[in-house]
Amino acid sequence: MGAALTVRDVRVARGGREVLVVDHLDVKPSEHLFVLGPNGAGKTTLLRLLAAVTRPDRGEVEVDGVPVRRLGLAERRRVGYVTQRPALLGTTVLSNVELPLRWRKVPRARRRTMALGALERLQVAHLAERPALALSGGEQQRVNLARSLACDPDLLLLDEPAAGLDTEARAIFFADLERALADRAVTTVQVTHRPEEALRHADRVVVLVDGAVRQVGTPEMINRMPADAAVATVVGYDNVLTARITPDGAVLVGEWPTGLATDGLGPGPAVVAAFANAVQVGPSGREGLPAVVRGVSPGRGHRVVLLDGRLPGGLVPLVAHLGIDAPAPAPGEAVSVRFDDALSAILRGR
Amino acid sequence: MVDPVYEVLARSALVSLTASLVAATIGIPLGTWLALARIPGRGFVTALVNTGMAVPTVVVGLFVALLLWRSGPLGDLGLIYTVRGMVIAQILIALPLITSITMAAVQLLPPELPGHLRSLGANRWQVVARIWVEARLPLLAAAMAGFGHAISEVGSATIVGGNIHGHTQVMTTAIVENVGRGEFGVALVYGGVLLSLAFVVNGLLASVQQRGGAWARR
Repeated sequence: MGAALTVRDVRVARGGREVLVVDHLDVKPSEHLFVLGPNGAGKTTLLRLLAAVTRPDRGEVEVDGVPVRRLGLAERRRVGYVTQRPALLGTTVLSNVELPLRWRKVPRARRRTMALGALERLQVAHLAERPALALSGGEQQRVNLARSLACDPDLLLLDEPAAGLDTEARAIFFADLERALADRAVTTVQVTHRPEEALRHADRVVVLVDGAVRQVGTPEMINRMPADAAVATVVGYDNVLTARITPDGAVLVGEWPTGLATDGLGPGPAVVAAFANAVQVGPSGREGLPAVVRGVSPGRGHRVVLLDGRLPGGLVPLVAHLGIDAPAPAPGEAVSVRFDDALSAILRGR
Repeated sequence: MVDPVYEVLARSALVSLTASLVAATIGIPLGTWLALARIPGRGFVTALVNTGMAVPTVVVGLFVALLLWRSGPLGDLGLIYTVRGMVIAQILIALPLITSITMAAVQLLPPELPGHLRSLGANRWQVVARIWVEARLPLLAAAMAGFGHAISEVGSATIVGGNIHGHTQVMTTAIVENVGRGEFGVALVYGGVLLSLAFVVNGLLASVQQRGGAWARR
């Protein structure tokens, strides 16, 4: 069974500024947790704490109830840590993978079998005798992962392990990772700034913004009901607008109706988060938010329409995805915008 | 009586190789510690080490001679005007250089490497051993520089060794002595032999270094 993790009342400061604040976070055994956040959110700092590479200024991180600062070498060896930069050593691929096993005093023959097995699972066994530092970035990342998997960890910490790979290579990498973990009861904590990866592969997602945990939940929950505007942006909502809920439940943006309504939230300030394909562009004069088309360009399976919404306080940029065969408005054309409630979220605002 | 060249050469090699070996044994761990440790006063110790590189060998020789002088604090050891005394002086000459180059070599490695090795399950000694393996080429360069500095110095060898024929004369002091007597031809022979010794030792180390570098680039 994978290891359980608990983070309690953790604070990390750099240069007098708090860069990470986590009041409480539990990771269940064999759970696949993703830490999602923009660059500089504190994701790597959190992972380094979990790996016991750095210590918090305050608070405690526990693995199976034991504080990481008190973990002995044997317990520490149950944790695998895959860094963003592969950090391979100046020796062959096989020696790189065998080295942690040698430190664990695994007999030579078994060591070789385990190392080759891990390389096989990541489809890089054919590189075993090559110098590790001469490999391409993608190959190095696979070897880096194989090195951690070879030790059969109970807890695997992955810091953007596919960073620097193109979209296709990332998809293959994650498929191979999923396969490699499929028959293992290992707890994983994985850091990413790509919402599609977290939402696709996670059991639960932690959203970290400006060093603070903003939301913890299932991918479905995070995707459908982000906690606030910052989380909505991180999750990938293309349009995040300040709004207001009227006493009868209508949602207005700058006094303009949006086509959205809610009975769950009371009247008051709100935020509308809408994916680009939730934006319905209609003729000017129709009920909705008035806007002007700034540009139209082809997208993958759709057309991207950039708009400037006209609010009393000024212009607000909007993005819409229209069907590839749908009639597209011309740049400079006045239109009205409404939102499809199935692809939008209404959040409590401040 | 004049020592045969091969005898002076053997003494030079013995003194400088022994001194470099001892200096590397102390300097490589010391430099590694200075590069990795996060302790107060590290900057001060680093400055001391770097200053040590600039101290003239004749000054090192003077301090060692004062310590080892018969009436000095370590006079009872009877090391003044001995090969062992010269080795001690040359250790002090090579040590700052080896320590400083080691420190720079370790600091050039990715800063996350020690933490990364620990996270792979290495204990403290395994981390240090692996760091040395990763920095093997510059560490070899440190040893080469230490040896070069030791074998080419004349100040401490003269003061601490006394250039006694048959006992403490080394190549550099023999050159100075022959130049003083106006025997430039003999001095040139000694100089050529000394250069050859330095070339052979450094050539051996360099070939090891190049092989290591070529392997890493393969």
